[in-house]
Amino acid sequence: MTNREKLRELLLDILLLDPSEFHFDLKRDEVETWDSMSVVAIAVGVDEDFGYHFSPEEAMAITGVADIMSTLESKGISFAE
Amino acid sequence: MSDIHIITEQDIAEDTNLLQRRWTEPNTFVLLPARQEIHRHWIGNATRLITKHCPTDSFALLTSGSTGQPRLIVGNRNRSEALARVLHEQQNSEPVDETVCTLPLSYSFAFINQWLWSHVFQRKLRLTEGFSAPDRLMQILAGASNAMLCLVGSQVPLIRRFFPEASFPGIIRVHFAGGRFPQEELDFLKERFPNAEIYNNYGCAEAMPRLSMRRAGDAEDASHVGCPLPGVELRSDPSHRLLFRSPYRAIALIDDTRLHHVDDEEWLPTGDLGIIGTDGGVRLMGRANDVFKRHGEKISLPQLMTTVKEHWAGDAAFYTDQDASCESGCVLVLAPVPTPEQVREVLMGFRKYHTRPHWPLRVESLESMPLLPNGKIDLKGLPGAGNTQVHWKQRI
Repeated sequence: MTNREKLRELLLDILLLDPSEFHFDLKRDEVETWDSMSVVAIAVGVDEDFGYHFSPEEAMAITGVADIMSTLESKGISFAE
Repeated sequence: MSDIHIITEQDIAEDTNLLQRRWTEPNTFVLLPARQEIHRHWIGNATRLITKHCPTDSFALLTSGSTGQPRLIVGNRNRSEALARVLHEQQNSEPVDETVCTLPLSYSFAFINQWLWSHVFQRKLRLTEGFSAPDRLMQILAGASNAMLCLVGSQVPLIRRFFPEASFPGIIRVHFAGGRFPQEELDFLKERFPNAEIYNNYGCAEAMPRLSMRRAGDAEDASHVGCPLPGVELRSDPSHRLLFRSPYRAIALIDDTRLHHVDDEEWLPTGDLGIIGTDGGVRLMGRANDVFKRHGEKISLPQLMTTVKEHWAGDAAFYTDQDASCESGCVLVLAPVPTPEQVREVLMGFRKYHTRPHWPLRVESLESMPLLPNGKIDLKGLPGAGNTQVHWKQRI
């Protein structure tokens, strides 16, 4: 499974998204289940699945899927297709 | 001092007239489940309290009550026979010639609605081994004529499993009690029992046991349990705890080593939360101990179960657990093992109707639910049950 697929599965799982709702440009304010508890859950999930621990500031600054990927890419985790 | 007779389900199975004799004798008797695990010492102490404080025409049944601790419910024969007559009238039971037991008689629902009713009205009582011998049960149901059946909601999946295509035209009354009414299964039940009037009965062991009832078709919501029976009063307090007074209720309750006489004017809790409608009808909001707070929101397990039942036809139950931050939450257990798509359907139901604090901590599954002798799911047996599979979990 690629990192893109792993991230997609993680967010489908945490946000209870229908697969058709997901895209890599998805923004937080487009999904009603992307609430403050989800932010924490995503941070925990990223730690479990990618081995990177978001700082509270990084977690709160996330506004969409692209932010998660760019933060992780800056730590050397590639999302190249 | 008179003797107290202790009889068990096993004794009744070996001597079907035993209960009849005990009921007509002047002495008090205690009816226990066949596999009762209560220490003999506790029963011994409890029966001594009955001997000392209760009339000799009493009888007692064992219940776990809302606390999960053993409790003896002491009843009075005249009161209970009066309830059997009220039920006969209210449930239009005159055309019923026989009743088929699939539940243990030590269960107050079966004891009053079936055994005592058959005794008072001189109708035939057919004891069965229930769904532990499904072939035999199917034969009896198929051969029944003008018969009444008393079930609990958790037996409906067993009917689906064992009698998927069968039809039992000889069953003319089907009563549900002792748990959530399977409203969403009515069409299925009407196919299995095409000539039956189906009733949702509500009560509690302390009421010995009926408080209200409604015909299944008179409401679309499982939480609607109808209006109080004649003579019964139901109200809810400011915390929505349902309280009752009834001329048919228990006369005493025994917990631990204490006997509590129930005063005629005393309001007893049913163990449920609910509201009384302007029409006098009662709507349940959940068990008093099935509602808890999580992240500041009031979580009602019955409401969550309604969502589950919209998306899952198998067995389902919740148990409570704590998350990593020690907040209380619930764990959903499904049986048999669902497909990933089925789990997804249930989860999407949670997303549609509930905010995240209401979602379960985990979705687990078992091949089959552990059951109590009365057919209800053994909730205490769910945490850590063998072969549990975890299908989904919250990450926090």
